[in-house]
Amino acid sequence: MDLLEVSEPQTSPRFPLPGRPTRPKDNAPEQEGTGIHATNPNQRQIVISKIEAILESIGNSIVNQEKHMIIKLRTRRKAKPQVTNPSTGVTGSLPDDGMRGIKFPSRNPQEAWKFAAILRILELSHEALTSGVVSTKRDIYYRDPELFVKQAVVDRYVEDIAYTLGVERDALNIVAAAKGLVAGSFIITKLSSTVLDYSTEQEGFLVPNLKEISSLELQNVAWVLVIEKEATFRTLSTQSYHQHSLAGRGVILTAKGYPDISTRQFLSYLHSINPQIPVFGLVDFDPDGLGILSTYKYGSAATAHYETSLAVPAIRWLGVKSVDVSPSAVNGGEDGEEGRAKHEEVGLLRLTPRDRRIARGILGRETFDEGGEWRREVQVMLMLGVKAEIQILSQRGGGLERWLDGRLVEELGM
Amino acid sequence: MSKQYLTTHTIDNAHITDIFSLAVTPTQILSASGSSSIKIHSTTTPDHPLVQTITGAHKIGCHHLCTSPSGLFAASVGFGGEVRIWQVDTDTGEWSDAGQVTDQNKAGEIWAIALSEDGQYLASTTYDGRVNVWDLPAAEGGKKIREFETKGSFGLSIALSRDGRFTASGHENGGVYVFNNDTGRMLYSLPSLIKPVRTISFSPAGTRLAAAGDARVIGIYDVQHGEQVALLTGHSAWIFSVDWSDTGEYLLSGSFDGKAKVWSIDTRTCVATHSETDKTLWCVKWLPKTGRSEAFATAGANRSISFYREATGG
Repeated sequence: MDLLEVSEPQTSPRFPLPGRPTRPKDNAPEQEGTGIHATNPNQRQIVISKIEAILESIGNSIVNQEKHMIIKLRTRRKAKPQVTNPSTGVTGSLPDDGMRGIKFPSRNPQEAWKFAAILRILELSHEALTSGVVSTKRDIYYRDPELFVKQAVVDRYVEDIAYTLGVERDALNIVAAAKGLVAGSFIITKLSSTVLDYSTEQEGFLVPNLKEISSLELQNVAWVLVIEKEATFRTLSTQSYHQHSLAGRGVILTAKGYPDISTRQFLSYLHSINPQIPVFGLVDFDPDGLGILSTYKYGSAATAHYETSLAVPAIRWLGVKSVDVSPSAVNGGEDGEEGRAKHEEVGLLRLTPRDRRIARGILGRETFDEGGEWRREVQVMLMLGVKAEIQILSQRGGGLERWLDGRLVEELGM
Repeated sequence: MSKQYLTTHTIDNAHITDIFSLAVTPTQILSASGSSSIKIHSTTTPDHPLVQTITGAHKIGCHHLCTSPSGLFAASVGFGGEVRIWQVDTDTGEWSDAGQVTDQNKAGEIWAIALSEDGQYLASTTYDGRVNVWDLPAAEGGKKIREFETKGSFGLSIALSRDGRFTASGHENGGVYVFNNDTGRMLYSLPSLIKPVRTISFSPAGTRLAAAGDARVIGIYDVQHGEQVALLTGHSAWIFSVDWSDTGEYLLSGSFDGKAKVWSIDTRTCVATHSETDKTLWCVKWLPKTGRSEAFATAGANRSISFYREATGG
């Protein structure tokens, strides 16, 4: 195989696996006109070349009648380097640079299967790149569920391949399935010239894929609020809180728990084009809430190889904080029996051993530096031995909306 | 009858974050906080100057600190669960590292601690409700000599009697357990306060035990048989700390809403309430009695240490 094939608009795999039907070029043409392209044509060409170089070396192995075909894969950096090989599960020795070879054929059937799975993803990514059709990780899985067995396999190898090639996953023209929801006073014009007005949709829209966005226009937005829970997001969106807040108009966003890359990408983009608009986080007062907030702010260990483009260091923690579970906040200044009863009812939960373990881990992170507010909040959480969900704010006088009004107005210095 | 205490001094911003624990010797007050340093202030002069800062004592902060009643040893627990022992040079008053307690101490399992009179023994609670006792010195990690089982509920507080005969622990489920250190057996568990017991303390003579927490009341118990002899009511928020005065006549308490109270054990009433702050008081401590009047210190979320002295001649 020579590199001239790069220019060939061929989408079928060069190395179809035995017994697996070669997929015909089916839906590619009709989508090509929608203007969905990898962001940078040069990068796209480079990635195509890189994938083809891998395929080529495999081809050479066959031509030269070598004993094995080998795919070299670089393992992503782990949060804990001393733990050997927990996430790739790839067998074989691990050289110092994290590069490992996966052979086919192999005496180990597991390794042979991995070879097939990785080759298939390379092939599908190549197809996505040459055809210009963006694929989701979910799509990849459904192209060959028998081979991949489960979604997690695709997720893992897609990330590993991106890391090996030294690019972001999106450069493979593979995106995570959209998980986040967003609502607020803004208008998006897509590359396809479709105009979407997000302020009219009460339920919130799925977070748009950045690659499809031509422009995003905020309309007098004073704040952006990232919410841990979908239920809270829905409560606020159905009441159009983002339009009627005392703190002015805003944008509300949720990734339903730990954020996926597309949600973080969208938030990061939103913030980068409007850096003057403050971004706030509303999460549970528990170690996971802090973990989620921390992922938006600094990133996560799993995707550390392309953190810089996703992190929103400016995000500020709006709540729930320890002050919201303290007696003064709950009693609203009242003393006596009534106040005590209220402090009882707010739904404080005890920390579990798992919570404490995670909290200790969080305290050990460099980003939770001495004298910082976040570190203090985790320590106080451990001292109190309690956690609290966002829902406790709904049980206050005036409910969640009034709490948000007060806190946002205060933070915005209005 | 009420008593009057006057603020004599406040060390503003003694730490850069919440002060979680105080411990005293006849001449000094030690403080631990969410920062990595332990600070030591002198209590022999009215201005309470800073005499030593132990930097890097606990990397991710320190939640419990105690001294042996002899004043020669101190112990501290960090948020990472590590336990460090400190020893004072009696000539210079300077503290130095005297080892870590590591023998059969799983990472992160220790919460509250107490030292015996002479600093020979260290007792601790664990996350799963056990009570452990180590024989020190800790230069070689100490030696675990006792392990008491309770019902598995998080051990929030612990105390040793001054004569070293008893250990008492307070738990998240409201349980209070008293152990005989000589026989290694549990003596009894006390009528439950039902809610988390965050602080527990033996009277100096070892005849009474005080326990308090989220129930907002302070239970006073007879140590020998475990009967409740008094229930002190008046706090309207969780109680984080109680401490007996040198004579055992008064009990000091501090709570979530920033209130410090002094109780007469004799009359079972609150004789003084201080509410200089509405921020959490994590720790309150009597100072060893030096003159005719008694004095105490409070510390917490406002990062300061406040000193109070009984108003005399009034």
